[in-house]
Amino acid sequence: MSTATSLSTTNRNDLSHLGIIQSEWIKLRSLRSTWWTFAILFVITVGVGIQMSSSTSFAWLDGGLSQTGMQAAGVNAVIIGTDINVLVVSVLGVLVIASEYSTGMIRSTFTTVPQRVPALLAKSLVLAIGTFLVVALAVAITIPISIGLLAGNGIDVRLDDPHYWRAMIGSICYLVLIGLMAFGIGAILRSIAGGIAVALGLVFVAPLALGLVGGSSAPQIWLQNFVALLPFNLGRALTAHPGYADFASPGVPLQRPEGLWVLEPWQGALGLVMWVVVVFTAAIVLLKRRDA
Amino acid sequence: MIEAHSLTKRYGSKTAVDGIDFSVAAGRVTGFLGPNGAGKSTTMRMIVGLDRPTSGTVTINGVSYATFRAPLHEVGVLLDAKAVHPGRSARNHLRALAATHRIRPARVDEVIGLTGLDSVADKRVNGFSLGMGQRLGLAAALLGDPATLILDEPVNGLDPEGVMWVRQLARGLAAEGRTVFLSSHLMSEMAQTAEHLIVLGRGRVLADAPVSEILAKASDDSVLVRASDADRLNALLVDHGGVVAHVETGQLSVRGIAAPRIAELAAAAESLVIHELTPVSKSLEEAYMQLTRDEVEYPASQTRSEKR
Repeated sequence: MSTATSLSTTNRNDLSHLGIIQSEWIKLRSLRSTWWTFAILFVITVGVGIQMSSSTSFAWLDGGLSQTGMQAAGVNAVIIGTDINVLVVSVLGVLVIASEYSTGMIRSTFTTVPQRVPALLAKSLVLAIGTFLVVALAVAITIPISIGLLAGNGIDVRLDDPHYWRAMIGSICYLVLIGLMAFGIGAILRSIAGGIAVALGLVFVAPLALGLVGGSSAPQIWLQNFVALLPFNLGRALTAHPGYADFASPGVPLQRPEGLWVLEPWQGALGLVMWVVVVFTAAIVLLKRRDA
Repeated sequence: MIEAHSLTKRYGSKTAVDGIDFSVAAGRVTGFLGPNGAGKSTTMRMIVGLDRPTSGTVTINGVSYATFRAPLHEVGVLLDAKAVHPGRSARNHLRALAATHRIRPARVDEVIGLTGLDSVADKRVNGFSLGMGQRLGLAAALLGDPATLILDEPVNGLDPEGVMWVRQLARGLAAEGRTVFLSSHLMSEMAQTAEHLIVLGRGRVLADAPVSEILAKASDDSVLVRASDADRLNALLVDHGGVVAHVETGQLSVRGIAAPRIAELAAAAESLVIHELTPVSKSLEEAYMQLTRDEVEYPASQTRSEKR
């Protein structure tokens, strides 16, 4: 070790948003946990997609499946892994921020970026971009394989169907938004265990537990409409295909009780964005107020 | 230049930092001394904006830390060696910090060399010893070549060679005109590194003075005396302004009167024979213990008036 501090080679630039984003990108990709999580996301998307595509068949159905039903079956086969992947992105989202608190890294982050909020936003941005790229790549690989396998089972998926593509892009955005919401929860709770528990409780357990409610009385309808606004069901709305009823229960017209909401895909997207905005707002308010 | 005014931090009912005023001048090493729990770390965390003061202000070169446009170039901070994600390599940790200010990767390599981390720079931090973690923390603090350095217990966990290096580094940086503020709970360490000391105890400034002055004052030499009639000698010395304590039967500890003068006083008195006369100098550590334990002798108000 020497005592010279070498002033000469140090260039002096101000803190910049681009620099902060680059910093968070280095942080994200320099941890093994990130790559493990991305690998799991990828494998689940492709693996479950292939499995579902090869096992979907309506050969038993008299008169076969309608074209919109086939389109919905095509959508379902590719995005079925999303139901598992929400778990993976929830864990990743919480981990990315809460691990900085559990390790003490956050103090290095906040002494480097004392305004704090730019660091939080940059971190969420690189998480969103990373998740988007991995899931988009996985979906892009799964689509042609899925279409080939389904064709072998007598299901012809046509690619000129805008609803098909909207559902594909919707499923990618859904995972990104769930990851961001979990990130916000992690930022609020600053604990890996607590963050994962709350994120999974909200994303998984709540819709599962409350989803058991049926019926058509006013309070039951009210509760079911509330459940429709939970992230999981908003995701369902975002990734839905109009032919889903034909595919799920072919030949049987769907009966819906009066007053029950059926959300459009864009409403599902809006709802998810609202969840992210609400959680982020709380996280930012607390971030500015609390000691690090 | 770091300046604190009525800086206070309370956690619930517990007051960690109790309305302290101090200033840390550029161009010299200022030691921040106090026992564990005195409030040193809390104060340093408030200086760099991690903790929000309950009341009062603290500024660096006249502004609060959060308003710096290039914090890494203004202030280098080592708060604790654990402010690192253990799953990341030392090099990637430093690169991530450097990227925020677009500091070139060459500078990252430079601080790695400077702190002697070359052989472990690409290993994950979770395998690091306390000393290596400390070196990484110092590398991060030096990254932006800052004008001010705030180092909390920088020699903690370092081997003797590392301790020497930190001392030389701190003095060298101060000699270049930088503000160097480092904390320790070891008086001996501070006496060898710092020129000026701010002593903190239970959240209050107990002393704020040059090291030599604090040592001189705190040393406050005493004299051990044994005499034929200890009680008479006691009364005699008290009459002449001495502060006397009974150590054991027949032995007195006298402060405020030097040994030769005690002998003279005894000789002048009738039939009072001195059997033993031993000047006692306190060690640095004792002096420090006295400072931090005995707040009454060095109240904050007294040291405040000495400032400037």
